[in-house]
Amino acid sequence: MPPPVIQLEKVRKSFAMPGGERVDVLDIDTFAVASGEHLALEGQSGSGKSTLLNVISGITRPDAGRVVVDGIDLARLDEARRDRVRADKLGMVFQSFNLLPGFTALENVLVAMAFGSGRPDRARAMALLAAVDLGHRLHHRPAELSTGQQQRVAVARALANRPRVVLADEPTASIDAAHQQQVIDLLRTTCTEHGVALVVVTHAPEVSAQFPRRLRLEDFNRAAAVHQR
Amino acid sequence: MNLLGIAWRNIRQRPLTSGLTALSLALGVALVVATLVTGSLVQRAFESGSGLGYNMIVGAKGSPLQLVLNTVYLISRPIENVGWDFYQEFLPAARRADGIDGKYAASTGVAVPTCMGDYYRSFRVVGTNADFFGRLTRGDGEPFRFTSGENFRDADFFAGVIGATVAETLGLKVGDPFSPTHGADDGKVHDPFKVVGILERTWTPIDRGVFVNMEGFYLQDGHAKPLPDGVEPEVSQALAGEGPAPLSAAQREVTAILLETASLPGLPPELTAMGLRTAINEGGEAQAALPVAEIRQLLDLFVRPLELVLLLVTGLVVLVSALGILISMVGSSLERSRDVAIMRALGARRGHVLATVLIEAVLLAVGGGLAGWVLGHAIVAAIGPWIAANAGVRAGFFSSAPAAEALLVPFLVLLAIAAALLPALAAYRTDVSRWLHGPG
Repeated sequence: MPPPVIQLEKVRKSFAMPGGERVDVLDIDTFAVASGEHLALEGQSGSGKSTLLNVISGITRPDAGRVVVDGIDLARLDEARRDRVRADKLGMVFQSFNLLPGFTALENVLVAMAFGSGRPDRARAMALLAAVDLGHRLHHRPAELSTGQQQRVAVARALANRPRVVLADEPTASIDAAHQQQVIDLLRTTCTEHGVALVVVTHAPEVSAQFPRRLRLEDFNRAAAVHQR
Repeated sequence: MNLLGIAWRNIRQRPLTSGLTALSLALGVALVVATLVTGSLVQRAFESGSGLGYNMIVGAKGSPLQLVLNTVYLISRPIENVGWDFYQEFLPAARRADGIDGKYAASTGVAVPTCMGDYYRSFRVVGTNADFFGRLTRGDGEPFRFTSGENFRDADFFAGVIGATVAETLGLKVGDPFSPTHGADDGKVHDPFKVVGILERTWTPIDRGVFVNMEGFYLQDGHAKPLPDGVEPEVSQALAGEGPAPLSAAQREVTAILLETASLPGLPPELTAMGLRTAINEGGEAQAALPVAEIRQLLDLFVRPLELVLLLVTGLVVLVSALGILISMVGSSLERSRDVAIMRALGARRGHVLATVLIEAVLLAVGGGLAGWVLGHAIVAAIGPWIAANAGVRAGFFSSAPAAEALLVPFLVLLAIAAALLPALAAYRTDVSRWLHGPG
């Protein structure tokens, strides 16, 4: 069993409601993703998917517990250091891909590099885009690219800083069925080629069905289970 | 791609908004630059005029400032005239008919008489003698030089020397005749004089002057001082034995006397000048004015406050332009929030997004500021010929007010940072999860 690249232990997170009441969103005893593993996380609305992603990526600090990414406990770091870990260790693919509209495909990849520890590497950015068949679209802006091409830019950008894990948040939610399969194939193939772990958060069973490991948030997040009841 | 590149890309992403913001800033800065440069030119015009190789002006009692403005800058009206006898008091024995030193001769280095009241077209005519160009110097201490011809001779009654602006404007050449008019540019036409010399440009009011031999000037209609009833004018001999006889001393007056005071043995020149000035002012016949002091007072009283008011107004224009930066950035903050959230999710620290917004504002300020600087100087260059013609100072693209202009860009940068602070802090506080993740 390869060592875990993500490991959560006794993680709790709650939010204050406008009335002052606190609502538990995450209550996870243990959760781990092995290096190079491909995992689908299923969850309904309100199951804490986004909060879990925010906690793993260091955007949000948990109230308690350990969040270890590639050996670094994010829960003990200040925000700036968590940002640095996110830039270096994690690649993010969002719903609707969230490319920067004013930047070309190449610049979208270079921007991600700008926040990592290494220097922006133009040649690597071009190679990443060429690897997803966008070598001829380097200088096109998102609006000038098809949906499929935008997906590929998002995947290339996620790999910009040689991450250990790619986190994909509902990457198929806003696209038609034909493109859904392309996105999943692209993510899995590319992450396999780069030896990167992949965590795809989805509410679509047909998407999670394609992953060797599937987890339902409700099964390991006690807070979600409470809400479901 | 670094933060500068990201900020530049953000600007290019909104070409219309960014362009209009930079343009409004450029117009504000252009106004400030044009005001600063023009103000400094006006000041230079006055300062250059106050150092014309003489340090004192003697004229009829009245406003010393009017005396200076009229004599040095060839503007405003002459006060009155002083008698020929009084002028003689500044001359040494060798230059006086009675062979005795004048009362003030010991304190006087050079005394040059001027007579005013005539015009040629819109230019002032100054009656004087050959000492004006022979013994006085230009503002820079250099002797007067001629682009063509030479100084007139005292014996050549109807000769004149014209300034560079007069020659350029009217197309006059050496040998051309010109007839001054009495009292105004549409007054009675006098006898013709002949241009014998055209002065090299001095960038002083001299460039706008028409200088004629005062002997010829005196002989024009209305220029002789009326004698009391029963007094007959003495008949003078022609200076060179030919031509018309000069006007008698009793009928002569001068408008002003330009003095270069002498250095008395054992006394600093300033004290000599002060002593002479006091002596003249205490007398009943005339007043003595120090051009430098008068001009400094004029600058302090009128020009500098006016410049300050103009600067305040234009400063407000720049402030409004800076508000444009704020409005433009606040206006695009919704669009920016999503971009900022994406960048934060990619690993950008809060400091990165804060810096990006501030750099964006600074780029707009520097871009707009530089464009405005160029535009401001272009405005000065465009109105340069008009300034040169009216103020008698060189005004071109490279005319500058270095001290104030050097402060402009740092000031703009600070202003832009201040204006962008609010949107930058909003970007700093952007909630990433709100903008990126779906429900769940």
